[in-house]
Amino acid sequence: MKKNDVILIVVILALALASFGGIYLYSAGNTEDGEAVVYLDGVEQGRYPLSQELSLEIPAENGNYNLLEIKDGKADITEASCPDKICVNHRPVKHLGESLVCLPNRVVVEIENSGEAELDAATR
Amino acid sequence: MKKTYSAGILLLAVALLAGIVLIQERSSELKRYETTFFDSFDTVTVITGYAESQEAFEKQAGQLQEKLRYYHELFDIYHSYDGINNVKTINDAAGKEDVKVNQELINMLKLGVDMYQKTDGKINIAYGSVLSLWHEYREQGLEEPEHAQLPPENLRNERGQHTDISRLVINEKDSTVFLEDGEMSLDVGSIGKGYAVQRLAEYAKEAGMEHLLLSVGGNVCAVGSKPDGTPWQVGIENPDLESDKSYVGILELSGKSVVTSGDYQRFYVVDGKRYCHIIDPDTGMPPEHFPLVSVLAEDSGLADAWSTALFNMEFQEGLALVESMPGLEALWILEDGGIRCSGGFGFHEEK
Repeated sequence: MKKNDVILIVVILALALASFGGIYLYSAGNTEDGEAVVYLDGVEQGRYPLSQELSLEIPAENGNYNLLEIKDGKADITEASCPDKICVNHRPVKHLGESLVCLPNRVVVEIENSGEAELDAATR
Repeated sequence: MKKTYSAGILLLAVALLAGIVLIQERSSELKRYETTFFDSFDTVTVITGYAESQEAFEKQAGQLQEKLRYYHELFDIYHSYDGINNVKTINDAAGKEDVKVNQELINMLKLGVDMYQKTDGKINIAYGSVLSLWHEYREQGLEEPEHAQLPPENLRNERGQHTDISRLVINEKDSTVFLEDGEMSLDVGSIGKGYAVQRLAEYAKEAGMEHLLLSVGGNVCAVGSKPDGTPWQVGIENPDLESDKSYVGILELSGKSVVTSGDYQRFYVVDGKRYCHIIDPDTGMPPEHFPLVSVLAEDSGLADAWSTALFNMEFQEGLALVESMPGLEALWILEDGGIRCSGGFGFHEEK
């Protein structure tokens, strides 16, 4: 085998490994392009990037609402019309798969992007 | 000679690339889907699964949603439904008459009686009279926080007289249930949801759904693993809501269930103090041993029952019990944030 052939083999192997690694890393996803996805009664209402500041009133049934705020890459419900305020008391979320849930208003805010979730569920 | 080498190397490169593409293709054959609904057990249900198409997934998820709704109606203590005798029917007939019920309801009640014995009364499905009193005061307190009150002691004691589970008569031969004490009532909140989730998981397996994650209000049950054989990643939520850390750790779940009981989500505040929704049958008051316990078991019904029972016990007492029960593991978060687990509760702590 010539020296050049060896170099070629090494280069090809390195390329193959690099592309495999790249695809793997890409599909693992990262939180930087995460979005806060708003669901009302399980139906998607809108997607908002975590990279942009936002203050949004999510209208629920019968005049109820949840106030969604996005700041510093985190999504938070800062105000709500529900009696239990579980969603307001919950800390801001930013990791893929994390969610804020308001049962009375049937509102869910979940962190998503196109990649695989870091978490599949949470026990609480 | 040189040409042959070059051709060989080219072939190798093509084969490698084709391999990579094939691996990517294969893992994307099954796509991940998720659906969320709110119509059962007063909580949010999320079903996560892998299927070949949205349509195929929705068909499966739809069947499970319908099943869950069925159990919700069967175990409901607040509403009656046409054509079905449920727990409310039994409560309404307390002290008066037998109620004809189906085998599912009998099985769930038997689990309740069994768990009463196994936990030395730390969960009691015949504790409805006291639980409904707390429910009333909690709802009132959430409605008008400035007037929030605890149920008065004399009322608690009086209701506590009507919680004798031995007066729940289950007649399997005739498929009837009777409450001998007219003042007593059933509340299956500590086991009903877990029992239902377990039945759903069994149904899913029988129907050939192999990779499914059910979360009914944080009551999480894994049917199998993910399609690539890796376990589902389940976060254990941090009960300290002031902390930046969302999860205390991550549990890897395959073919098992995890259920958590805590005092940090459902509670009301009286004179600046939190009172959670779980009531210890021995004291008639919410326990204050620690903020959270998570229970891992194969059966979701058992995990649900044990998480409530352990929440009502001191940590040391609970740990000793868990260590003596094969197939049962638990994790506690103590008041100071310290984490304790039984020997087989493997999880990655979030630093």
